[in-house]
Amino acid sequence: MPSKEYDVLIIGSGASGGMAAHTLTKKGVDCVMLDAGPLVDFNRVRGPKAVYELPYRGFGKPGRLPHVVQANEYNANQWVDETEVPYTHDPASPYNWVRVRMVGGKSLFWARMSFRLSDYEFKAKDHDGFGENWPISYADLAPFYDRVDPIFRVAGRKEGLKQLPDGLFLEDDSPWSGAMQRFIGAAKQRDIPVTKMRRSTGRGQFASSFNLLLPDALETGKLTIVPNAVVREITVDKNTGKVNGAIFHDRESKREMHVKAKAVVVGASCLESTRILLNSKIANSSGALGHYLHDQTYISQGVFAIVPEAKDGKAPRGLMGGGGYVPRFVNLKKGNEENFIRGYAFDFSTGGTPDPKYIPAYGADLEKALNTYRGAGVSVTIMGEVLPRYENAATIDKNAVDAWGIPALHIQARYSDNEAKMLKHAMDTFEQLCHTAGFETLSKHDQPHPPGYSIHELGTCRMGDDPKKSVLNKWNQSHDIKNLFVVDGSSFVTGGYQNPTMTILALSMRASEYLAERLRTGNV
Amino acid sequence: MKKLSAILMPALGKIPGATEARAPEFLDFLLGQSPADRQQLYRAGLDQLNVKAKKQFNQSFAEVDASQADTLLAPLREPWTHEPPKDPLARFLRAAKQDVRTATVNSREYSVAGAATARRSFGSGGFYWYPLG
Repeated sequence: MPSKEYDVLIIGSGASGGMAAHTLTKKGVDCVMLDAGPLVDFNRVRGPKAVYELPYRGFGKPGRLPHVVQANEYNANQWVDETEVPYTHDPASPYNWVRVRMVGGKSLFWARMSFRLSDYEFKAKDHDGFGENWPISYADLAPFYDRVDPIFRVAGRKEGLKQLPDGLFLEDDSPWSGAMQRFIGAAKQRDIPVTKMRRSTGRGQFASSFNLLLPDALETGKLTIVPNAVVREITVDKNTGKVNGAIFHDRESKREMHVKAKAVVVGASCLESTRILLNSKIANSSGALGHYLHDQTYISQGVFAIVPEAKDGKAPRGLMGGGGYVPRFVNLKKGNEENFIRGYAFDFSTGGTPDPKYIPAYGADLEKALNTYRGAGVSVTIMGEVLPRYENAATIDKNAVDAWGIPALHIQARYSDNEAKMLKHAMDTFEQLCHTAGFETLSKHDQPHPPGYSIHELGTCRMGDDPKKSVLNKWNQSHDIKNLFVVDGSSFVTGGYQNPTMTILALSMRASEYLAERLRTGNV
Repeated sequence: MKKLSAILMPALGKIPGATEARAPEFLDFLLGQSPADRQQLYRAGLDQLNVKAKKQFNQSFAEVDASQADTLLAPLREPWTHEPPKDPLARFLRAAKQDVRTATVNSREYSVAGAATARRSFGSGGFYWYPLG
């Protein structure tokens, strides 16, 4: 690396790092961006294959990605190799840490569900007494959400719900299918709102930092991207106590190099950012670094129901198809609480076919049942808020290092009683709504995937007004080191039930504008 | 395993079953590369089937007729639960039902037959990610 000192070093090129680059370069800030993975040519790195051409007929190499439920034989090579970048956990408390290392990060592959947090999340402690409030409110972040939505081209339907603030949508006025109308009717009887999914439509095949943020940043001439750069630690000037760059390894040769910058913005993804700070031994006078890890509970197919009129291929036109989203509707009014706090959401769809595992049959009987149920299904993914607890934490495992000799993380996280009660309530409620709508339950369960499955890891570097209880202030700026910012999901205080990406993008934009102004006035 | 596979996924009309798709041979290959606990699940499960077949019908599982096989495969007619069954045989049968089906549906033979019938989509394709290097 040349000995040039950049204005800002950005670590990570995904949603948060990409938005930092997009924002800072437009303000004339000279940035260098390090990403641990390669810059990928998507036309060359993928090719069509029939499943029977794959070596393992779609099963995937056994044991290759034990923590990545989302992996299959088609996409196995897009996820981080767990032997190359290991982590540890107590075998009795599994944690599924799902990672991507290539320019664009996880924003290349996300499901694009695009929601805003509300003051039920930003001021959660005021509402139910648990945990801490964010040091900001929805009103502080709304202007930034408003600027993120058009970049990512978010589609949705305005509902005016306080618990799910509306965005600046490409309005979704698509009609509901017959089955959906029946479900909505059942939900209405219980004042449960149902809306259209909110989704970033992006441009072309991606809704990613890769195609929506980095190109504009590069066009300013103020961004240098260095792929294949595995950051070991952030370096500190011993005289000033400020950060002044980072030591990193070239991914392939493992050669150690250093890059210099006047300020550092970390957007390497929640746990990776925290890992870098822990290994750097900085920014932790509060003792909060690594703690309050949370995500969302996810139950896949919490309920699978059948629409009787659609059996045996007899669904009339317009009965089946489409899906919807039910935002949190519980624990919104004080004095009307359930036996758990916070809330959950349903992401559900109609028109599917049940997994054969749900049908107690085999052979010809199973095929007959599948033919009966084909296309007649109603299925729900349940997503619940997880309470941030101090003891759910990421620490450095001194006995484990990655392929570059960088100490690995040990992750300790468990769901608790609140999550269990919430998910039972969710499963029961969805089944009741199906029953009211005239659907027949085929299967149900209330057991979530292990923590981390959601790929929404949050916390571990939380913001707050009190430097004794938080790592960052309300600008995502380290309390301890004024030229250090952390802009990804690690900064969250509490995550709600909503997918976090829009909030991460908005926070990163807001923090980057703050940093740009401080650089302009020489206050970094 | 061949006998079990043929029962779990028989050929139906022009659609090949597990035997025609060489699913047992493929699963033998897959299990050879699988973690020890998966191998043990299959080994113990197949042994259990044989033990029960000998006890009830005085034959190996490979020799029982269709009705006798149905008796032995009764655990597969129990309602599904998210928690795996405690009984090792039931746990094995649940895994085998899924694996045999996947190995069959994802075979070239199944896909070719599906294309010929043109009644519905069979097998699947997708974009395969090559190693990034």
